Amino acid sequence: MKQTAIEDRAQAQMQPGVITRDGMLGTDTRRLVDILVEDEAAVRRLGTTNITIARRMRQLRRAGAGGLGNSIPVGDNFDVIVDGVRGRLPCPYEDGTVSKTNTRVFNRRLGRELLFTDLNIHLIERHGFYMGRGSLYRIEPADAMAILEIEPDPPPTIP
Amino acid sequence: MLADILVNFPVREFLLSVGVLCGISLFLAIIMVVADATINYYGQVKLKINKDRELEVEGGRTLLTTLKDEDIFIPSACGGRGSCGLCKCKITAGAGEALVTELPWLTAEEHRDGVRLTCQVKVKNDIEMEIPEELFSVKQFETEVVSLRDLTYDIKEVRLKLLEPVEMDYKAGQFIQIEVPEYELTDEPVYRAYSMSSEPAEKNVVEVEVRLVPNGICSTYVHQHLKVGQKMTINGPHGDFGLREGDSEMICIAGGSGMAPIKSILLDMLRNGNQRPVRYFFGARAVRDLFLLDEMRQLEEQMPNFKFIPALSHPDPEDQWDGETGLITEVVERHVASAADKQAYLCGSPLMIDACIKVLSDKGMPSEQIFYDKF
Repeated sequence: MKQTAIEDRAQAQMQPGVITRDGMLGTDTRRLVDILVEDEAAVRRLGTTNITIARRMRQLRRAGAGGLGNSIPVGDNFDVIVDGVRGRLPCPYEDGTVSKTNTRVFNRRLGRELLFTDLNIHLIERHGFYMGRGSLYRIEPADAMAILEIEPDPPPTIP
Repeated sequence: MLADILVNFPVREFLLSVGVLCGISLFLAIIMVVADATINYYGQVKLKINKDRELEVEGGRTLLTTLKDEDIFIPSACGGRGSCGLCKCKITAGAGEALVTELPWLTAEEHRDGVRLTCQVKVKNDIEMEIPEELFSVKQFETEVVSLRDLTYDIKEVRLKLLEPVEMDYKAGQFIQIEVPEYELTDEPVYRAYSMSSEPAEKNVVEVEVRLVPNGICSTYVHQHLKVGQKMTINGPHGDFGLREGDSEMICIAGGSGMAPIKSILLDMLRNGNQRPVRYFFGARAVRDLFLLDEMRQLEEQMPNFKFIPALSHPDPEDQWDGETGLITEVVERHVASAADKQAYLCGSPLMIDACIKVLSDKGMPSEQIFYDKF
């Protein structure tokens, strides 16, 4: 699949030292469009959508924000800590900025933790980008599904 | 068949083609080197600062880095990525228009007045600018780690003895920038800002409290690599957070490593015999997140008008906690009837500070009496 000019530009913005020191691609040398297509397929196989995953991340982020920087229990299974530092980061697709906020979700039942940023939520929700392999902030769709306890979307009904 | 091909292979033409291609590549490489050396070479340029200082510097780097190499330290919390908005200075000539990356940080008035983020301005020609006078007192210090103490499972206290220069004059509430050398998480030195928790009168030692942040370059280094006896480079002092004049009651609110500047302010007040009433609300989740309780209780004994109020949002059953519970905002709401005649000093995460400002404003505190230091 051909990479668009917008994706070319976004991939350039994702390089180390442009927006963040380490960049957003980790050790991934693939073209951005290939990363997107592969993750899109993985998300589809999991029976969900980027919107559903991002919505769950946002929901836990919102609940955890109530802890005002400290960890708080959310629901029966989660401990969530939402912590931020001064400043905002621009999206590599140049469609806005997000606060520099980290959300750590610890699933007590599984004993597993997922760390994500506001930029992760934005990139997944708007652009279907989960960061490149080897990136510190890479979100594996399957990990997000399991740790955040996201149920697969029901299959579409045929009228 | 193969033998025929080899015998008839046009070796001469092949070698000629390879030679021509190599020649073209070499020519293009030379062009690129020359272009890089000329187009990106800005030579010596002049920085005129506050109309009375002039520096001659090498062009081509950011203004923030260029100034740092001239021992002028503009505060920055993001290492020059244009994402913290701290390194603002007014530039009156020579910097061109503000970049798109700077606009989110500039008010309309600042934009109109030529305020820029120095980390986004590339020094290409002579520049005239204004730098607040207090920044000229910021110095770089070589230090040695004299003690490391675990305050909680994720907060470490670091004490640094100043080696060169040997003393720092600072105000309680100010911060320093710590340089983290190259290590597995960074291939270049980076600076991060931390509030000092030490007493300003102790001029040859500074102390900071560093909370471990997941993937944080500086906090990971401090928690996992830093050793007693190690040398560290810092610069400071920075910032204008600190005790303001007045004798009204002080409402201090902090969480986590936000303890640091408040502790420094309290120690300074104790030394100076300042008798202002202070209530200090400190928020944590459980007992394991509390620290310096003994020090705070001792301060209560030494400062008759000081009251320390730790509060736990979700104490563990084994904590057997009989103190205040709830979010720190709820505790403040319960304890402070009216805030109209008080001053507030806040330090913590942006979320905590925003929530506290709302509570205090609802209780009548004027915004100009609320002082805070967002991480």
